[in-house]
Amino acid sequence: MGDLIGQALDIGWPALALLVGLLVYFQVSIKDPVAKKRATFKTFIGIIAAVMLFIAIANYKENFYGENRLLPVSLVMITSLAFMMGIYFTNLAALLKIGGFMFFVAAALSGYGNWLPQVEGGFPPKEEKLDFSSMTPQQLADEGEKIIFGGIGQNKVQGAIGKGQCPLCHAFHAGMLGERAPNLLGLPERAGKERIEDPKYHKGEPAKREYADKEACPGCGTATTAQEYIAESHSCPSCYVVSGYGVKGTNDKESPMPKIHKPPISLSLPELAAVDTWLYVREGREAPSFEEITKSYEKFIPEADRPKMTEDKPAVAGALLADGSEPVDQIFAKAQCVSCHTIPGIPGATGTIGPKLVEGTNAPTRIKDKDYKGTAKSTPEYIMESVVSPSTYVVKPFPDNTMPKVFGQKLSAGALKKIVDYLSNVYEGKEPPKIS
Amino acid sequence: MGPVTRKKVFSIMALCAMISLLLLPIIVSIPSPAIGADAPAADAAKKDEAKVEKGRDVYYKTEGIVVGAPAPKTTDGPKDYPRYNFESRVLLWFANQQHLYYGSFVLAVPIFCMIIEFMGVVTKDKALAKKYDQLAYDFIKISLTAYSLTAILGGILIFTFLTLYPAFFGYLSSIFRPVMHIYALMFVAESGTLYIYYYGWDKMKEGFLKWIHLSMSVILNIIGTLLMFLANSWIGFMMSPAGVDEQGRFLGNIWHVIHTALWNPLNVHRILGNMAFGGGVVAAYAAYRFLASKTDEDRAHYDWMGYIAMALGVAFLIPLPFAGYWLMREVYAYRQQMGITLMGGLLAWLFIIQATMIGILFLSTNYYLWQAMGRMRGAEKYQRYIKYLVFILCCGYLVFITPHTMVMTPAELKAMGGQQHPVLGNYGVMSAKNGGINVIITTTVLSFVWYMRGNKVSTLSWAKFGNIFMGVFFFFAYVNIIWLAIYGYYIPANVRVGLSVPQVATTLSCLFFMFALNSVMMKGAKQMGPIEWGKISVRSQYALIMLATAFTWMMGLMGYIRSSVRLFWHVNEIMRDNSPWAYTHTVGFAANMISFNVLFFWVSILFVFWLGSLAAKKVPVSATATAPGGAPQPAGSH
Repeated sequence: MGDLIGQALDIGWPALALLVGLLVYFQVSIKDPVAKKRATFKTFIGIIAAVMLFIAIANYKENFYGENRLLPVSLVMITSLAFMMGIYFTNLAALLKIGGFMFFVAAALSGYGNWLPQVEGGFPPKEEKLDFSSMTPQQLADEGEKIIFGGIGQNKVQGAIGKGQCPLCHAFHAGMLGERAPNLLGLPERAGKERIEDPKYHKGEPAKREYADKEACPGCGTATTAQEYIAESHSCPSCYVVSGYGVKGTNDKESPMPKIHKPPISLSLPELAAVDTWLYVREGREAPSFEEITKSYEKFIPEADRPKMTEDKPAVAGALLADGSEPVDQIFAKAQCVSCHTIPGIPGATGTIGPKLVEGTNAPTRIKDKDYKGTAKSTPEYIMESVVSPSTYVVKPFPDNTMPKVFGQKLSAGALKKIVDYLSNVYEGKEPPKIS
Repeated sequence: MGPVTRKKVFSIMALCAMISLLLLPIIVSIPSPAIGADAPAADAAKKDEAKVEKGRDVYYKTEGIVVGAPAPKTTDGPKDYPRYNFESRVLLWFANQQHLYYGSFVLAVPIFCMIIEFMGVVTKDKALAKKYDQLAYDFIKISLTAYSLTAILGGILIFTFLTLYPAFFGYLSSIFRPVMHIYALMFVAESGTLYIYYYGWDKMKEGFLKWIHLSMSVILNIIGTLLMFLANSWIGFMMSPAGVDEQGRFLGNIWHVIHTALWNPLNVHRILGNMAFGGGVVAAYAAYRFLASKTDEDRAHYDWMGYIAMALGVAFLIPLPFAGYWLMREVYAYRQQMGITLMGGLLAWLFIIQATMIGILFLSTNYYLWQAMGRMRGAEKYQRYIKYLVFILCCGYLVFITPHTMVMTPAELKAMGGQQHPVLGNYGVMSAKNGGINVIITTTVLSFVWYMRGNKVSTLSWAKFGNIFMGVFFFFAYVNIIWLAIYGYYIPANVRVGLSVPQVATTLSCLFFMFALNSVMMKGAKQMGPIEWGKISVRSQYALIMLATAFTWMMGLMGYIRSSVRLFWHVNEIMRDNSPWAYTHTVGFAANMISFNVLFFWVSILFVFWLGSLAAKKVPVSATATAPGGAPQPAGSH
């Protein structure tokens, strides 16, 4: 609270000074004791209200990204001051009371929103460069579980969801709800028997199908094995629709499921192989090999339609920005640090979006800060942590999530070491170290 | 040529000018569909088939010639996402929301003016006609002050887009280039029409000229509605793109780009929402003027104005949930996972807030009506039943806001012992929730019926039978809605969904049949006493302000939900958001941001109201000037 009052005074001192000046002026200029008393009282109320207003603003400024649950308190304070002002400034009473009431309603709704469980949608799934082809079936199945549920061992957690988004509609265990799409328990068994032998499936005779799509691609044909059925279902959901699960009004002729290799899900063939392997392994079945699974998909997804593992990547796992062979000033420039930070000794590093990097001076203080939750014990450790994991500690008043979290992957170990060495030796008021 | 004839000629010329303004963008736009129309496309294909590249429309699945560049693949950096020392998304959110609030308001109010002016023209009671005309003029005066602010905010919004999201805005404008030009022309047409309509008010107030003036309001509203539809096409495209191939390349058919899967439901939902919102803002304005009034005459005028605005707002609020239902159905039909993210996934808690807001809106409306009964003699007979209505509303509300399944962490799941709460989980199924909201709406209809007959006694020979029939109708409506809500527990979920149809049909039957029957029964009814406008409690005015604030908040909430359902896509499945803010905020952060937007809007518009009150006032027509026994009659009521 002390901090907030301090900040409030920092923000609002001109207004407060003006009000105090008015108070003094009234004492000197008003002769009528009744009028003087009234003016003094109103100005005093005005000062209290102004202090409350600036505390409310300081609270907003301070906690906007961090403790946002505290923000409705600001609105309650403004409500009180509006009603308070309404009592003493009768000519604006209606306006102030209405305003106060609106602030109260907004505070209540804001408070309600903050009281509910806080769910935050994470960043879009990042594509890791994994070599699926050399994995064991269990490793492949683990990766598949990650794609479906977001993590290993998450398959029984309600609401767990991964890049594939499958649990949004499908259930995977006995007794679990699966009203929107079939429960996938026992699919490897069912696929090769019930499904492809179903007369509606028209095995080998795609032209006779009565579904929205006859074939996954011209000349692709139909599945002949369980694995091919799974591959076809993923790549062409409307080639065959399980009764009761079609889009409403289409008489089960069209499936609501998106093509899994197309946006928004865009799983690559190796990722699909991982997903399918999990479907087998989790039931204790022997899964087809990686090559067999990818081949089954190649049957239904033409080359041009296959998403690449590196496609549409949000600047995460591309080539290195710097490999460490460059001088440190070039590393800072290549990694774009100079756009956001001021770094003494580095030409062009005059950014103000992030804090000034005088880490020789700042790092020891920050490690001791009560809000520091990281693990660094020394200046170099702190710098490394800040580069690789910028949200561990965010320097006030800079917002979180502005600095990209990709430098751990985009800079080589050598480049990182050069950055750490240089910044460790930058002190406030001292000559910056030499560029090496 | 006499002065009257000259006036007529000028008026007709002004009307023709407006029609030309309306047609101008349409004429300009005629060649644009031809860019992608079949004939030229086919010709081009014949001439040089080998050279043209074809693409398949992601939504319509039709083939077209590629005429645009692919959607840019952005990277996080100053080129695609230049920024200040602040989250760009929040800045854009703010600029967008403020423009939308003001835009909705200035589009909704002229529709009210049209309705009220029309009522004034057709009303036979001259004093009342004058009052309606004055009211319509007051409405448009408020709207005019906000109009210039809307334009300024639109400019700020475009600059925000251009400076913070240049790659995204560049792509969107490359697709919508012709639409944006038409939009700009429509805006010019809207401005011209609005000013002629406003400044011509006094010059065209009687006879044939009045009809010309009224026709102008029709044209003004057609232009305004078309403007909104065009703007909706952009957000429709962002949510459910069409007219482009998988890479986002424009295929030449601008109609496909406009007419996306969600465009029509968005149009209907937004027009109803704007009307309800506009009603709320004008009601709040009237409440402010009522509370600030120094004379009984002013109080009477603003009390009446508040009532009319509230009644119009609520008239559009009632069908709003049904339009919302259609929109959600179309969302599910377009992408099931999008629907699930909204209603059962990441954004589900926001729908719990929405349910709460809907409850608040209806509770405030009912409270206002009960308070309003206090200004008419004879309405005391209903007062003792209000406690039962409160009980019914509270029960309906509690059922309506009870969640069924929730998104939970493993720890929460373990603590709760399952995906549903051991007690509440039994109650929150959809048919029960539908039952809850339908009970609330039916009770609001009942409150309106009581209000409309508050100070009247029907003199018809069959009045007793009519009253019994109405009572029985309402009783069985409640029984049917509640019975279906309970029956839903005994049938599978996919069948249960269908119960909403008979539940909604029951509510709508109450709305239309009971209002119609009541109006027939109250025609020529004996009055127990006049409506004493201005003699309403101060609390009632706070109910109006509550209604307005809650509606503004809900609009902000639903806009946020609609926008954030795209998750990390600028244009769903076509152009990915690679900025550092491509994640969805927490419910709390969103609630704070919505509150900030709501309060900024209200503080700014209260300032506009205050400025307006400083201007020279037109003295409202005295409430006492109405014919004896013909107290000002609210729209469509007694």
